[in-house]
Amino acid sequence: MTVHVLETEGQVCPFPLVEAKRAIAGIPSGDELRIDFDCTQATDSLPRWAADEGYAVTHFDRTGDASWTITVQKP
Amino acid sequence: MILSGLVIGALLGFAMQRGRFCVTGAFRDVWLAKQSRWLTAFFVTIAVQSVGVFALDAAGVIELGGGAFPWLAAILGGLVFGFAIVYAGGCATGTYYRAGEGLIGSWIALGGYALSAAIMKHGPGAPLVDALRGVQAPVGTVHELLGVSPWVLVALLVAGTGAATWHHLRRDAARPKPVQLPTRRKGLARILFERPWNAFATAVVIGVLAIAAFPLSWATGREAGLGITTPSADIVAFLVTGDVELVDWGVMLVLGILIGAFIAAKGSGEFRVRVPDARTVLRSTGGGLLMGVGAAIAGGCTIGNAMVGSALFTLQGWTAFAAMLLGTGIAVRLVFGARRAGSAATAPSPVSVGA
Repeated sequence: MTVHVLETEGQVCPFPLVEAKRAIAGIPSGDELRIDFDCTQATDSLPRWAADEGYAVTHFDRTGDASWTITVQKP
Repeated sequence: MILSGLVIGALLGFAMQRGRFCVTGAFRDVWLAKQSRWLTAFFVTIAVQSVGVFALDAAGVIELGGGAFPWLAAILGGLVFGFAIVYAGGCATGTYYRAGEGLIGSWIALGGYALSAAIMKHGPGAPLVDALRGVQAPVGTVHELLGVSPWVLVALLVAGTGAATWHHLRRDAARPKPVQLPTRRKGLARILFERPWNAFATAVVIGVLAIAAFPLSWATGREAGLGITTPSADIVAFLVTGDVELVDWGVMLVLGILIGAFIAAKGSGEFRVRVPDARTVLRSTGGGLLMGVGAAIAGGCTIGNAMVGSALFTLQGWTAFAAMLLGTGIAVRLVFGARRAGSAATAPSPVSVGA
């Protein structure tokens, strides 16, 4: 299994989500996608997207002031 | 007591930041994600407010007037504003609260918005705005047009919004719950600065604040509810003329939003000065400037028109609301359509880092 990293810091919403959707389409099943982001609204939209799509969230945490990381697994 | 504007603004900024309440996002979702969850939450603020405001009117606390319907300006201005907010990365209020979160891109958009609103309301753009707004239909509200009691419309709005909210709440309950950030705080600190707010609960809070805005603003002689564009233009006008008459309840309100959002962001570890890239700077500048032009022509932004005007059932409010939604759709096509085709893609690709 491989972890793919998508760095979206500096991008305002909805770009982190738009990029995450595109990135996950390009990785093999079973691999994980780690999205680093600093857009506050994405703390709501990314986990909701993962839940709606049925992707398991293996990690979701703050990495500093206004910085977050979320890792989802492509089923 | 214009200071009550500062309090309402601060509470509003706090609620919007903690609730991640973004009208631009709500409008954009309709076109980009084909989702109406946040738009439904936006309708909740309208419906809640509508009940409260017409009750205040019936009780004689405030007096709602009809006025005329500047239909051409509502359509044109609404389209421009709805288009601009996608580029600015937030509508007027969204830009205020993101500025409070430390986003330099929002500071730029806010500056552009306030400046162009001032140019169009107080400066050389005023004759154009006056000419466009002079094209009017004589009847200003939906209930006057239909010849019915406003309460018929309030009831319809509440019923429709209630049904849509029920649908979304059931849908939310049927789906797996989104994963939350790890809990780090306890008690009041957790409630205020950590626990995610439900979208619909946030909408009710904002609706209640929008109701409270009416009598509080009225008491100071400013006979209106929430409004963002005129106060923003007035700040610029005050800064260049020194005319203290311009500093009213509305000016306090928008300053309060900035302060409230800052307190919410700082308290929850979500404040950081964030520097945008060159492309975002250009978008924020252009979007901000266009936003001020659109709002001045339309006679209000997503708050003044789409949220407050709609709650009062003004034809301008609902027409501008529809035009804004359409304008957002056009911009989404330009921004995200091109991105999908890959022509504007500069995004980083995923990097394999091994297992």
